[in-house]
Amino acid sequence: MSYIHFPVIAVMGQFLAAFLVAIFGSKSRKASQAITLIASACAFVLVCLLIKPVALDGQIISYWMGNWEPVSGYAIGIGYEMDALGLFFAVLVSFIILMSAIYSLRYLEHDEAVDRYYTLFLMLSGSLLGLVMTGDLFNMFIMIEIMTFSAVGLTAFRNYIPEALEAAMKYLVIGSVGSSMTLAGVALLYAQTHTLNMAQVAAKIGAMQASGGLTPTVVFAFGLMFVGFGIKSFMFPFHTPVADAHPVAPTSFSMVFSTMVIKAGVYGLIRIAYIVFQVMDKSSVQILITAFGCVTMFLGVTMALAQHDFKRLLAFHSISQIGYIITALGLGTALGLTGSLFHVMNHTLFKALLFMCAGAVLHMTGSKNLDELGGLSKKMPHTTICFLIAAFSIAGIPPFNGFASKWMIYQATYEKAVESGNFFYALVTVVAVVVSVLTLASFIKVTMSVFFGQLPEKYKDAKEAPASMLIPMWITAILCLGTGVLYQLVDRTLTAPAVAASLTPANYVDKMMGSGYAASFSVKDAVATAVQHMSYWNPVLWLTLLVIVMLGVFIVILSGDNERGPVLKTKEPVADGKYATFFSGEKYRHSHMGGSDLFWGFKHDMKPYFDFIEEKHSGVLTDYTLWTIVAMAVIVVYTFVFVK
Amino acid sequence: MFKKMIAKSMSKSPWIYHMNTGSCNGCDIELVACLTPRFDAERFGFKLAGSPRHADIVVVSGPITSQSKDRLIRTLEQVPKPFCVVSLGSCPKSGNVFKGSYSVEAPLDKYVNVDVSVAGCACKPETIIEGLYKATLILQKKREAMEK
Amino acid sequence: MVQNMLMNLLHIFIFPGLLFVTVIGVLMTGIDRKLVARMQKRVGPPIVQGFYDFFKLMGKESIVPEAANKPAFLAAPIIGYVSLVVMVLFIPMFSFSVYSGTADMIVLIYLLTIPGVALIVGGTASGNPYAGVGASREMVAMIGYELPLILSVLAVCRKVGGSAMTFSLNEIVNWQAANGCALFQWALIPAALAFLLVIPGEVGTQPFDVAEAETEILEGPLIEYSGAPLAMFKLNTALKMFIMPAMFVALFLGGVHTGNVVLDVVLFILLTGLVSFITMTVPHAIAARFKVERLFKFYWTLVAALGLVSLVLVWFGL
Repeated sequence: MSYIHFPVIAVMGQFLAAFLVAIFGSKSRKASQAITLIASACAFVLVCLLIKPVALDGQIISYWMGNWEPVSGYAIGIGYEMDALGLFFAVLVSFIILMSAIYSLRYLEHDEAVDRYYTLFLMLSGSLLGLVMTGDLFNMFIMIEIMTFSAVGLTAFRNYIPEALEAAMKYLVIGSVGSSMTLAGVALLYAQTHTLNMAQVAAKIGAMQASGGLTPTVVFAFGLMFVGFGIKSFMFPFHTPVADAHPVAPTSFSMVFSTMVIKAGVYGLIRIAYIVFQVMDKSSVQILITAFGCVTMFLGVTMALAQHDFKRLLAFHSISQIGYIITALGLGTALGLTGSLFHVMNHTLFKALLFMCAGAVLHMTGSKNLDELGGLSKKMPHTTICFLIAAFSIAGIPPFNGFASKWMIYQATYEKAVESGNFFYALVTVVAVVVSVLTLASFIKVTMSVFFGQLPEKYKDAKEAPASMLIPMWITAILCLGTGVLYQLVDRTLTAPAVAASLTPANYVDKMMGSGYAASFSVKDAVATAVQHMSYWNPVLWLTLLVIVMLGVFIVILSGDNERGPVLKTKEPVADGKYATFFSGEKYRHSHMGGSDLFWGFKHDMKPYFDFIEEKHSGVLTDYTLWTIVAMAVIVVYTFVFVK
Repeated sequence: MFKKMIAKSMSKSPWIYHMNTGSCNGCDIELVACLTPRFDAERFGFKLAGSPRHADIVVVSGPITSQSKDRLIRTLEQVPKPFCVVSLGSCPKSGNVFKGSYSVEAPLDKYVNVDVSVAGCACKPETIIEGLYKATLILQKKREAMEK
Repeated sequence: MVQNMLMNLLHIFIFPGLLFVTVIGVLMTGIDRKLVARMQKRVGPPIVQGFYDFFKLMGKESIVPEAANKPAFLAAPIIGYVSLVVMVLFIPMFSFSVYSGTADMIVLIYLLTIPGVALIVGGTASGNPYAGVGASREMVAMIGYELPLILSVLAVCRKVGGSAMTFSLNEIVNWQAANGCALFQWALIPAALAFLLVIPGEVGTQPFDVAEAETEILEGPLIEYSGAPLAMFKLNTALKMFIMPAMFVALFLGGVHTGNVVLDVVLFILLTGLVSFITMTVPHAIAARFKVERLFKFYWTLVAALGLVSLVLVWFGL
């Protein structure tokens, strides 16, 4: 069988499995789990098989549903088109889906009606895969709708928690606003170009750009679709539903939500901005997207610093990291897009890992309150190591993967600043660095208040998470380190082809509509030219040096061979004696630094700011909807005025 | 080679942890006076440490009130070996004028082996420095004994 | 091949790696203490006092408290120390450089966070609430100095790169070789001042030693450390005392080419010592400790403004 059919089989397999779970799953939990595992594993294998032809050999797979090929230059059927950009996202989606499926085996053991969970879960994964593979605007909208509604259902899966219903409601309303924006944009585009096929739309818009600029309809459509996908990616000021959804959603869904559902919006932004509208060479669009990204990352991280709920904190970090991604993709340069896509992958890995760790803590202790938990590192050593790896990754500590992508983003923003001479981008670089430190602070807070410090009495029977939860955690943790150390290899195999694909809309058009089609509409071959500045960070050399020096230090230490006395003998907690914690001579008592107690000086100085943002995040749905509408109005007006 | 250097360094870099067990502050300020430009105990490497885990010499002043006794013992337990205990002034040695009080549990040697006692009420900085210096020599001996 | 490898090992372990940087860092702490003493009209400890302290701590018992997470508690100081040693290999000393072609300023700034994170993780792993307070303060200081640090680095990079982006330390050093010290570009003087003020914060010396304030929070993150791990942490501070001024010299006082590598290196070390004297010894002798919120405000207002002024001046071509 030729690999041409693989994308469609992967998507169809997921949807089919969803129906199978709905039919057979209600009888037995095992059946639904087995079907989910098989379907997601199949999808992962199929997508991985596509890396060779699509990413490495640079082919683009096009597939006309029901063989409805274009008639006299007009696409009439639904076309699936898989280029390296779509593949890049598809690999991540299928990987996370598989990890989440394995993780959920034990995680959902206390929940009832898991067949419904798995039905929605498979619908979600199918729609995500469909979204990144489709070459049809309306099909893209459909997929986004399926994704949104299954995500809403999964958010409210534990519907005995009142907050879950509230969060689902918020997500539903704001998500629907986004969907309707997208739909309105698609309708406008259809009115203007008489086609829904993305390749053909791209060709027509390319022709329009070559001959005197975009028409107001297209500009309006761009504004609406930008808002629509912006809402799906939860950038500022549409970020509000995420924070409420994560704490109540099951963690095995949270990890998909935070990593891939949000990235669906990012994918949409890249696809429409770079390929369909080809507007990324306009400085007004660049400033618009970068400014929103910049505000998103700063707001996300400062809100995260104020949280004391483990999962809510992670939710705000998703927003912040999405800010990085949007900032970098808004630069419109090859390096920026590389950094952006690389950060997409890294964020997928470490945020999934963070959520899995949070889920493990929640599952084993029943709490996600940072002020209550503490000292779990002795009870859950694997979780602690995984969490530290993920925290260092997200905080950008070398040599973990977060550093590689952040470093590309700094370079990209500063390069943009220097080349365009625009001081704004230099400030973006500064904000990005500061946000990175704040991220570190925030994760130090979690590390201190959950894993280190003193173990509260009530968690002294806590156990390590079961193997089915630890296996996906360790796989992801190893990938976090691996992609950080071998980032050049990863860049060559996955991100560079994806960047090349996004920067050459002509190829995309030609493959779908027949070669020469793009040229006939004078689609620009490359929106930006690919330049790479990535030679200065050599993690392999650094690690080698680190290991050599460490060996040297150990040799010195061991050759010293002096009796340094006993290290630690006692096992039981001791109130008195040599191995007790030093409390200025006081007797041992439980005294733990809770999450809310930290960073006093910083919080004290920034109090007006924190008070302001916390007051504005009122939790009232109407407020949030108002923000959405106002932001939409601003963006649409901006596009009308500045995007020509 | 390391052993020799360690043994030598033991007497060259004593870090002091100061415990006030109900002292009238007389000896305490004299201890601080040792670090002033006039006496400059730092030329021997003396340094005030903040935690008993860093201490080499624990300096105890005051007549060991019953409130502070447990805390004193607990803290002394937490000091890593080898370490010396120096009693500062007459109070920890004998109880001084507080002797016989219901709330005073002097002398210090009931609870711990005192290596050096500095006499005086309050003791002079010169004597304190001399006492501490003697303690460093004891420290070096203790370290050498530990190796055997 | 073999010779090449031996050269590499020589660089890693003897100069400018492990042995050299450790010795010079520890010596610098001794000189610092001596000079502070002299400024206060005291005799002060011997210059080799740092070595005495180190060997004494190596000879003490290492206690791991019961509440601590043992692997993290013991690994943190070594990780911090080793990463600092590796950092030195990336800093060019005028014409002498080992691996400086493989790291740029951003990488160095991030590598510098590793020892800080190691201190925080080690401190919190000890399970002592004082250590928690100390780690929290260390983090606040880190947030504080990172903003002016990046601003001043960006200013230098803009000046050096012109209309091309560069973060490379080698390029900065080469540019200075051609155009004279960056410090003498008057637009960069505020950036240099900002960087000078960042140095004591990064190293954690007075008046910026909020994290290890021994009179307030009993040495903060180090409270439960004793013996060999404590010695390693003291070495970390000593190494930072060399590395931060060295970065300043490379960024702002670079470009000396006497033609003789040995002379260059000696000059580099002397300049580093001078910067260390200005930034750490003098404030240590004359200033009292900041309160933590004052420290944060200081960095984000005054020092950051200095960096920003410099960046703006450079940006508009001055």
